[in-house]
Amino acid sequence: MSEYYVCTGCALLCDDIEVETENSKVKTVHAACRKGVARMKGCSDHLECTIDGEKTDVDSAIAKAAEILRNADKPLIFGHGNSSSQAQKMSIGLAKKIGAYLDDTSSFCQGPVIEAILQDKLKTCTLDDIRHKADVIMFWGADPSNSHPRHLSRYSYFPRGKERQRGWEEDRTAICVDVRKSETAVICGDNRFYQIPVGGDAEFMDALVSALSSKVPKTSFGFDAKRILELANVLKKAKFGVICVGLGLIYSLEDLNPLFRLMDKLNEVSDFNLMPMVGQYNMRGFNQNLYEETGYINRVKFNSETGVAEHGPEFSVVEALRNKTVDAALIIGSDPLSSLPLSVSRYLAEIPLITIDPCRNLTSSKAKVTIPCALGGVESGGTAVRMDGVEVELKKILETENLPDAEILRKIMEAI
Amino acid sequence: MGFGQFLAAPEIKLKVVTYRDVFQNTAQETSRFGEEYENSSAVIKLDQKDIAKLAIKDGETVIVKNSFGKVVVAARKSDYEESHAGIAYMVNSPWSNSLVPDETGGTGVPKFKDFEVTVQGAKGEKATGISEIF
Repeated sequence: MSEYYVCTGCALLCDDIEVETENSKVKTVHAACRKGVARMKGCSDHLECTIDGEKTDVDSAIAKAAEILRNADKPLIFGHGNSSSQAQKMSIGLAKKIGAYLDDTSSFCQGPVIEAILQDKLKTCTLDDIRHKADVIMFWGADPSNSHPRHLSRYSYFPRGKERQRGWEEDRTAICVDVRKSETAVICGDNRFYQIPVGGDAEFMDALVSALSSKVPKTSFGFDAKRILELANVLKKAKFGVICVGLGLIYSLEDLNPLFRLMDKLNEVSDFNLMPMVGQYNMRGFNQNLYEETGYINRVKFNSETGVAEHGPEFSVVEALRNKTVDAALIIGSDPLSSLPLSVSRYLAEIPLITIDPCRNLTSSKAKVTIPCALGGVESGGTAVRMDGVEVELKKILETENLPDAEILRKIMEAI
Repeated sequence: MGFGQFLAAPEIKLKVVTYRDVFQNTAQETSRFGEEYENSSAVIKLDQKDIAKLAIKDGETVIVKNSFGKVVVAARKSDYEESHAGIAYMVNSPWSNSLVPDETGGTGVPKFKDFEVTVQGAKGEKATGISEIF
């Protein structure tokens, strides 16, 4: 029997991947999407171990990183989306020890929805439930054809699940609500694509709640009421519905109340679950690990003496960098200089910066200390949490000289 | 050299919505400093009407700027998208992030998918390279 590995290209954590290796490299990857294949084959720009741009050994880099964090008054530890759960727990311990600001990517993406799920404010299900039961699937502000390429083929639309033996042709209806006709919208078809204006999501949700309550739906942008009523009918008849929530929706809402209202109404008249379309492979793991430790999913600052965490937007990576409140940063499994507005992330280049990553990126190019780590799911094992909250074990495929991310953090903590 | 060289290129205001692209994302996995990543990132998708207003051809470079930054990227006519005059699409990348405002209203969440820029033909200027962004 073949051995299957887990792809860490996104938070689907596909666990049916076969690989062929040659000369200590992944030569061929079977079953993964193109992004997953690229992830598992590894980057061409490997990160080197450096201090001030000069090559060094890992022990010296770890000692320097420890010195930077020890001397900082308000250090920031950020990243964690591409880190194992073991590394994330080490990060939490390190932040506690040095009284650091601690945050992750969810702070400016799926955070509010994950928080609501962990607090049981939103009904959710697993990807396997979707595969076996879902008959009405809404992609709202989400384009999995690009962000999670196997979402539709493995779970949400094309497969023949236990209770959906006729697959997409007869047993499933896919619906897309978006400001742009995405490739996922094309798959859903023109009849099942609802194009709304930028920022129109909350209003469209409330119009849908009206339609589900047998009232005439109205929007200020004049969306065809008949189409909204028709959509409400499809949703009402769902046996097992799911809304896959993407960043398009989250960025559009000032708060989650319109989403709560819609989910409440849908569960009055039908049965609906919510799936957060988490991007990085272990972002949800970080949220769950920090939640277990502190009751917060992100945006905390620890008191080094009491170990108590304070929480609030002022401790978010964006506000901490914007307001220049931190004086050193450790970035692990992330590239904020690529993913944050430059007007915010520019400050990272002004403070002592440490990067831990398998690959060179924009952030590492501005770092005082760079420490290469093993690539999760390929060069090191550990565990991670899928977008639906299911824990998945990562398997090591190749040997490497680079230490796993958790081991680097453990050594930094020891050296402080 | 034609007379057109001395005329100011028309400038239009557009709203930008960022999106994800699996091909660009794949290139990013391989190398953030590679040509493929640059070519698939330094792009703005425009409606045919806006391309006409700018008096440019599909694939020519444009200057995209606001008070937060400025980049030169290739302008491409959108394909399967519905008409969207006044709105431009940029793939999520350091190029789009050069233009995302730092204003958050204290929420910690920038407006990644809803910000304004002005766009103008770049008269053959090369697209901004990754090393020039920072």
